[in-house]
Amino acid sequence: MASSSGELGSLFEHHIQKAVCDTRAKYREGRRPRAVKVYTINLESRYLLIQGVPAVGAMKELVERFALYGTIEQYNALDEYPAEDFTEVYLIKFLNLQSARTAKRKMDEQSFFGGLLHVCYAPEFETVEETRKKLQERKAYIIRTTKNKDDYTTKKKLVTEHKDTRDVRQNFHSETSGFGASAWNTSTGNSDPYSCELPLCYFSSKCMCSSGEHVDRTSNSSQDGRNHDETVEHCNYNNSLQKIQMKTFQTSVACPGAQKIITPSEAIDRFMPRTTQLQERKRRRENDCRLGTFLETSTSSNEVMIGPKLPGIPKVDMHDDSLNTTADLIRDKLKEVISPVPKPSEDTLKDVPTSHPLKQRRRI
Amino acid sequence: MAQKPKVDPYVGRLGYLQALVSEFQETESQDAKEQVLANLANFAYDPSNYQYLRQLQVLDLFLDSLSEENETLVEFAIGGLCNLCADKANKEYILRAGGIPLIINCLSSPSEETVLSAVTTLMYLSPSGPGSHPELTALPVVQCMLRFSLSANTRLRNLAQIFLEDICSPSQVAEARSWGAHSALGIPLPK
Repeated sequence: MASSSGELGSLFEHHIQKAVCDTRAKYREGRRPRAVKVYTINLESRYLLIQGVPAVGAMKELVERFALYGTIEQYNALDEYPAEDFTEVYLIKFLNLQSARTAKRKMDEQSFFGGLLHVCYAPEFETVEETRKKLQERKAYIIRTTKNKDDYTTKKKLVTEHKDTRDVRQNFHSETSGFGASAWNTSTGNSDPYSCELPLCYFSSKCMCSSGEHVDRTSNSSQDGRNHDETVEHCNYNNSLQKIQMKTFQTSVACPGAQKIITPSEAIDRFMPRTTQLQERKRRRENDCRLGTFLETSTSSNEVMIGPKLPGIPKVDMHDDSLNTTADLIRDKLKEVISPVPKPSEDTLKDVPTSHPLKQRRRI
Repeated sequence: MAQKPKVDPYVGRLGYLQALVSEFQETESQDAKEQVLANLANFAYDPSNYQYLRQLQVLDLFLDSLSEENETLVEFAIGGLCNLCADKANKEYILRAGGIPLIINCLSSPSEETVLSAVTTLMYLSPSGPGSHPELTALPVVQCMLRFSLSANTRLRNLAQIFLEDICSPSQVAEARSWGAHSALGIPLPK
């Protein structure tokens, strides 16, 4: 092991707790203040180093606390590790990496028996075999996750090819419901902060993708615990913004297939200024309306409606007489009330011109 | 650990990533560049973001940043590449974009994390079956790994060993060993 320089945690640079970043732009500030650091699979490890543990003989409690996050394979105190006075340093080895990640995230900067813990990864304790296994597992996880997405897009492709017309409105519904559903699907215990905890919102009318894309989004509450929120985005690139018609929709959807790697020549207008996106949305809304009326004429009974059908706004016929029922009732009542007054007064005027007209007045 | 972005749901993840990329390209501040690049590199850890990252050409951004003078930017960029290169589509993209020479350059960086990320990236970029990419197992690279495998740094030693055992063929390793005596090795060990 490298020689210690007496400073806390300075045995390795990655053990040192970096200062929190305070110059971040507002839009990208996170919920907790954090340092500027990149975590790669190299840095992460099943081994966690815990510094700042008060020397009060609390090893058992410490291990129990960490065991909440997963099975611990082994643990020991590191006596040679430079530590502050009256604190100890421990090494805990978890059975799997995910538990270690969760434990690190939750336990870092937590108070424990009056002291503040500093938890970091300790990959230098790994053996060659453990490192190899770690790298392989990471690769397998990525392949598995992207493979699931591919399978889902191919399945979707088969379904859509059977349809006569591209049901954009159906997608609109599925997207609105999918957004809601996958919001519930987020598993809070997940230690992957960059996963889709905010599954995002690609209503076709609000698509921020470059022009001409058709966003087909479904949420997949998959069985695999690792694949939390798989929201499949499927973008098709269509070079001409102007000719978005039914046909191009059909053809572009019909060949989603393999995930195309976008070469620079194909990627158009990635950074669309906001104004054009407003136009884009307007155009899509118009398309929806046009398609909507088209679909009503062509009956496709085997539409698969996913998600709640939003209640239509009831159309009111402004010329309908029933709208005026209440008003008429009131008017009639008023006429009734007012009308006896002129009649008796006319009679009395003829017969007894001198007598007072009957006043409609409440007599107490 | 990695930052949790406070995303306005209306904007969406793609919009957020786009904002990050725009800021990176426009800002003058080195601090802001580092923060944004670290943010993107951490995003690259999660496979669900890969489509957006490809769409926004963040892979090219990472590859370009490898040539930056600022050592921190290089470290974050290679970290980002390391995080996402295990994915098949990303891997093909990087190979086609000629990423391997840039990554090999990172092996001579003074920063420990940069070197470690570079070694891991090269490992992930090699084809899954037998028979590897010729650039990956070129003589200088294998020699470099041999030196790393003797390093006092455990992490580097482990990674180099895995590289030699899994990526290189025994004949390549033997050849590199025999050459080691005469060729001038210009790749220094990190501190």
